[in-house]
Amino acid sequence: MNPVYLIIIPLLSAFSIPLFGLISKKLVKFIPPLAMLFNAVYAILLIPQILKKPIVVLMGGYSLPFGINLFVGPLGIIFTGVIAIIGFIVSFYAINYIKEGDKEKYHMLYLLLLTGATGAVLTGDIFNLFVFCEILCISSFALVADLGDKRSIESSVKYLIQGSVGSGFMLLGIGLLYGQFGTLNMAHLAQIITEKYGAAQSIPIDLFIPFVFVIIGFGIEGSIFPLNAWLPDAHSSAPSTISAVLSGLAIEIGLYAIIRFVFTIFGITSILPALAILGLITLVIGEITAFAQANIKRMLAYSSIGQLGLIFFAISIGTSEAITGGLFQFLTHAFSKALLFLSVGYMIYRTKSMEISSFKGIGKKMPFASLAFLIGSFSLVGLPLFMGFSSKFIIVKSAILKNSTLFNILIMVVLLCTIIEGAYFFKVIQTIYFKKSNNIEIKKAPATAVIAFFILIIIIIGLGIYPNEVFKILQCGATELLDKSQYIRSVLG
Amino acid sequence: MVYYIGAFGLIIIGLYVLMVKRNLIKMIIGISLINTGLNLFLISVGFIKLGTAPIFSKPGLNPKIMVDPLPQAMVLTAIVISVATLAMALALAIRLYEHHGTLDMGKIKDQKW
Amino acid sequence: MKKIIAILFLLVLSYGIYLSINSIPFGVSKTKVGNYYNLNGVKDTGANNIVTAVVLNYRGFDTLGEVTVLFLAVLGFSTILFTMKKKKSDNMPTPPSLILSIGCKFLFPFVLLFGIYIFIHGHLSPGGGFQGGAVIASAFLLFYLVKPSEKSSKKSFQLIESLSGMAFIVIGILGLVFGNYFLSNFLPKGIAGKLISAGIIPLIYIFIGIKVGSELTGIIDRLMGKNNEKQVK
Repeated sequence: MNPVYLIIIPLLSAFSIPLFGLISKKLVKFIPPLAMLFNAVYAILLIPQILKKPIVVLMGGYSLPFGINLFVGPLGIIFTGVIAIIGFIVSFYAINYIKEGDKEKYHMLYLLLLTGATGAVLTGDIFNLFVFCEILCISSFALVADLGDKRSIESSVKYLIQGSVGSGFMLLGIGLLYGQFGTLNMAHLAQIITEKYGAAQSIPIDLFIPFVFVIIGFGIEGSIFPLNAWLPDAHSSAPSTISAVLSGLAIEIGLYAIIRFVFTIFGITSILPALAILGLITLVIGEITAFAQANIKRMLAYSSIGQLGLIFFAISIGTSEAITGGLFQFLTHAFSKALLFLSVGYMIYRTKSMEISSFKGIGKKMPFASLAFLIGSFSLVGLPLFMGFSSKFIIVKSAILKNSTLFNILIMVVLLCTIIEGAYFFKVIQTIYFKKSNNIEIKKAPATAVIAFFILIIIIIGLGIYPNEVFKILQCGATELLDKSQYIRSVLG
Repeated sequence: MVYYIGAFGLIIIGLYVLMVKRNLIKMIIGISLINTGLNLFLISVGFIKLGTAPIFSKPGLNPKIMVDPLPQAMVLTAIVISVATLAMALALAIRLYEHHGTLDMGKIKDQKW
Repeated sequence: MKKIIAILFLLVLSYGIYLSINSIPFGVSKTKVGNYYNLNGVKDTGANNIVTAVVLNYRGFDTLGEVTVLFLAVLGFSTILFTMKKKKSDNMPTPPSLILSIGCKFLFPFVLLFGIYIFIHGHLSPGGGFQGGAVIASAFLLFYLVKPSEKSSKKSFQLIESLSGMAFIVIGILGLVFGNYFLSNFLPKGIAGKLISAGIIPLIYIFIGIKVGSELTGIIDRLMGKNNEKQVK
């Protein structure tokens, strides 16, 4: 069992798509689901081994910090697993959904996007993290422009300009860190920083500046307020399958990078309340603007900003339980948002409009898609029986246990935002089920879409009722983040 | 030291161009300036006074005075990444012009908050 | 107004950079990692060019990502231009002058050969796959200048790209099989300074050179818009 296969199998299959395209054009669309299925199974099989001891893989066999290493800990395997599962479901759905455009290129870009995401969460080297983030970014630029119409090209241009400024800041931060500490390995960097500055509460300025640059860089990718102007455009004008992956996975990679830098590398815990407030602002802005939208995909995109703010807020509380809750919220958001975007995809396809008002009475005509939308939104709002309930419950509980006035006030705002979230989702559900219907003829739903919906629904309800097994893995992930010295020890020995 | 000033000067000019100019081609030039400045900065981090290139092209070179090879390897990667971004940006500019008939980002406002 | 805000922001940024740059002394050797590469690079990898050793052996995984990024650029490039409207171009490009056509025909094989030389000697002298590939692409640029209406087979470009990309990964997997580590240098390292030395480095650089050459040629090909003319005819 070597975790490096989690990265190279998708990469190899992406490169091999033109070859399969020579044999048969129809073969191409089955390669992404197969590669992702492999990844999902492999990641799940790796879990027991990783919970005992994190796996450190050296690339090329050179001792650290001279080579590159992969660090596959609980956190990494959670992200990899979610990427693989959602990647599988979405690509399975795409078998029938993607009809226009150059299919071969779409599938290659899709696989490379997931490769970039997987590599970014598994690597143990900051420059390597940058490279994989770029793979992720550049493939998203291309996929956002995939439809080639006016809207998507404009969004892609905006995304590209902001994204490349972000990667410039990332590289600047990495360069400054290399200049100061002379290493690129995360664990070695963490060790040097701990030795040099100890557990000092105040942050020295020459450490703070690279930190800010890195946070700005990954914050653009992770769309933290005020760096998220690109997100609603990009996520709403991509094909729905890509919106699902971008919203559910890609922005979380930016978040992962930020928490890795904050907790493991810099170990700056004194800055956490500021980040919590930043997360909260992101949440409030996202939810309020989502409420005002008439376009369903823009609404979902703004809701993603809000959810991301919530995850960021939860992780910034900084206790083990709160981080567990934040990671659980990440799972909830990834699965529910993927389900929402996928269900909306066929609704838009059938009604040929993205306005919420055009979905009147669609509940009777498209029962499966409407049911999927219903369950996805219930889970995201946090009704009992669904995943969202457990995650939001843990976050609220841990914030109250923190026992400070600041967090008590903040958690009130979070609850208020949940109410807003509920309001706009129920508005859509009301339109779908209880308004008089437009004349859309009933068509047979494609089997791939229905199967994709049901896998996601089973995951959402299953984890809502039995969260314990996943909860244990998430707790290990939280421990990994909080215990910096353990991380250094397991990498450098 | 002058290398640092040059590198950060390029980055600052690039950011200024991105913030003030609204023509897409000029913005792409701004991105390119930022990337060039970054490459120069990375190279100057590894620079050693009177150092030689890290290549043993003839016998008798002293490895102690060679410059740091790692930033050079990083810059090789960074150059390729910036080329990729530039290529994508130019392709998008071609398409944007085709759709809107202008490259002025201030006039292209189909999507807003 | 916008300009003033921009200048203020940039002043704050420059001050921040100034503060942090103070702790990075200029022009002195400071990193242990870099010194390690210079002292042990030849012994570890068998390559005379330490930058090549870092790029392909110590940090070979980065290079795999880098190759993927370039591949992505070409893919994205052609995805974005795929749905482009085909315009009828009335004016045929003016035929090249005699000097241009003879000169380019004369130079083409030499430039190509120079590119191949650069990437084969990547482990001995300055250069390598990326640089060699760029030189090869410039040879094709000359070729296209002479014959602007020459049809190129996009299919074969793509095949070359994906085959050489796969070859890189397969070499990596062979390293995993024979050397226990992905991308490990499992071939004999030979005598440093000879053409056939340094194990897998020349092999990978040959694939990268072919790949980069065909990718950049593909981009030039697309940007010259020959694709459109082909469909009009």
